[in-house]
Amino acid sequence: MMIAMILLTPLILSILIFMRKSEKFGGVCNLFYAIVLLIASFRLYLKPDSFTHFFGTDQVNILFLLILAVLYLGVSFYNTEYIKHKKASAYSHALYAINFLLFPASMAGVILSTHLGMLWVFVEATTLTSAYLIYFNQSGSSLEATWKYIFICSVGIALAFVGIIILSMGLGNSDSLFFDDLYKNAKLINPFWLKLSLSFILVGFGTKVGFAPVHAWLPDAHSESPSPVSALLSGTLLNAALLGVIRVSKILKLAGLEWYVNHLLLLMGFLSLFICAVFIIRIKNYKRMLAYSSIENMGIIAIGLGSGELGTFAAMLHLTAHSFIKASLFLTSGNIVHRFGTKNISEVRGLLNADKMTGWLWIVSFIAIAGMPPFPLFLSEFFIAKSLLSNGSIFYTILFFLFLTIILAAMGRSVLRMSFGDMPLTDVQVSEQKKLSIPEYLPQLVFLMMLIIMSMLPGGFLNLLEHAAKGL
Amino acid sequence: MIDFMIILFGMTMIYIAGTSRIDVYVRALFMQGILLFLLVITDYGTKHLGNLIFLSFETLVVKAIVIPMFLTKIIHKNEIQREVEPYIPYFYSRLIASIIFALGFYAAYWSIGKAPDVRPLYFGTSVSTIIIGLLMIVTRKKIITHVIGFMLIENGIFCLALSIAKEMPFIVALGVLLDLFIAVYLFGLFINKIHDTFAETDVQTLSHLKD
Repeated sequence: MMIAMILLTPLILSILIFMRKSEKFGGVCNLFYAIVLLIASFRLYLKPDSFTHFFGTDQVNILFLLILAVLYLGVSFYNTEYIKHKKASAYSHALYAINFLLFPASMAGVILSTHLGMLWVFVEATTLTSAYLIYFNQSGSSLEATWKYIFICSVGIALAFVGIIILSMGLGNSDSLFFDDLYKNAKLINPFWLKLSLSFILVGFGTKVGFAPVHAWLPDAHSESPSPVSALLSGTLLNAALLGVIRVSKILKLAGLEWYVNHLLLLMGFLSLFICAVFIIRIKNYKRMLAYSSIENMGIIAIGLGSGELGTFAAMLHLTAHSFIKASLFLTSGNIVHRFGTKNISEVRGLLNADKMTGWLWIVSFIAIAGMPPFPLFLSEFFIAKSLLSNGSIFYTILFFLFLTIILAAMGRSVLRMSFGDMPLTDVQVSEQKKLSIPEYLPQLVFLMMLIIMSMLPGGFLNLLEHAAKGL
Repeated sequence: MIDFMIILFGMTMIYIAGTSRIDVYVRALFMQGILLFLLVITDYGTKHLGNLIFLSFETLVVKAIVIPMFLTKIIHKNEIQREVEPYIPYFYSRLIASIIFALGFYAAYWSIGKAPDVRPLYFGTSVSTIIIGLLMIVTRKKIITHVIGFMLIENGIFCLALSIAKEMPFIVALGVLLDLFIAVYLFGLFINKIHDTFAETDVQTLSHLKD
């Protein structure tokens, strides 16, 4: 019942938005759906449920669903104010609001799918529903970013479908692609086809996750889309696609091919760290910087998943914390874009003077993403390193810290340069007219507070993570 | 008869790989749609009548008629006629396509040992089609050719799915079709937008964002 509500409410609301075509109404509808999603997710957390054979909750996807629900509530609250700054026709605003509803719904579809084919359908749907959101600024560069996004992701997802077909080639007698059946019959699947299929699926869904060799769309799409959309892309879409990879790699783990999965995941993870470390040093655009940091963090999560039991737990912790921190960073970057009218790092000075709150949010979010205590990324990175060490791979551990240090130094330099110093004089008068209102600070603040509470008083949250990690 | 059609299907790929006229690409897509339709009705059997009807609809109506018509409309609207000079000369790209076929068949016959119920001719052709589709995307410069390359990959995947006896549940197949359909529709919309914004439909116009 709850799942049906999650998947069907946006369809009804979209029709209403299309009939009224007002930006305020669209924002309210988004907020309303966010509340529905949050309530439904908590109900599902307390009482697991399923809807037809194709959708259901289990111990793994409930974590992803809760992240999506909480994050979407914050982002759509921010969005109600954000869209007021955007000048566009009523029709564009209506389309934006509709896609802003359908996009999280399609991600919820990915998360809740219990069938590999269904999961594929919804991953493709996320590409299609988010295309317009990325294009919303309607400039030449956002057009370019959107084109790259839909094209690269569509080709990637087509390759993932090849993986699914290859998997069903290896299935032998059974022909069910439900995850439960796949896990049950894991040992009976022909290992040759299973390995081949994982490679395709890892590349395919990995395109959407943003793993390194196939990440080309990610920096463009994240930097050119409106900030609430970047926050959703980075905080929830990457997770949802990662769930596809996780689900399929579990089949191999159960079939006794754990070493194969782990090696591929480690390879992808370290490549992502490497690419990020190379590009982030000379970066000029702070939204692109955040996008590369997403690639880095997805890489860290892949390394965690590929390095044993403790690593898997740490990866789940990292994934949760990264979603909220990155959303907070992207929302704050939206404030900076609004205030300074530029995405260039070198043109932003004296953020703390211009807008104290935004400046502090920017710095604290950076501290959080850098993995300093009291934020949970400290723990997760520590656990991942520990689990790498306990596997006996000292070389990997050194490499891991080396890349993290380079990335941290590069990001830190940019963030500090933007935050301190004097504001350019010409901006002083202008920025008076560009005051921001409470909804544009509150979500970030809540996300960061939530994370601190999480790492101080883990309680039920720890339970949730442990269950999820055990289910992988 | 089935083998003959698969070989024809493969030949359309080799033909496309070495030609520059975009209306020929579209005509080849139409032909592939028809060939896939014939493959479905001759090869699929009547186990599940509902699925047979659905697949016939997908191939004959969507793949052979709707998508080629839609692409033709875009081509006329944006006045695209020929592929510009590609990164690899046409002669070599036809040669590479042939080599891909040879390797594809080699891999297919080699893999029979791994899975007895795979039909090598089908398997080799569809894998080669997918790879040639990717090759088209990386070596050509017109955006419309990229979309056509994507459709060729989709046809290859469809062929691959036919080569195994099992099929997706009906609802999933429907979802897959719907997604592809919207994807091609979106591609069309954005090609029009790119033409309006940059007055050009080459991929070079889309290279401002980089680090």
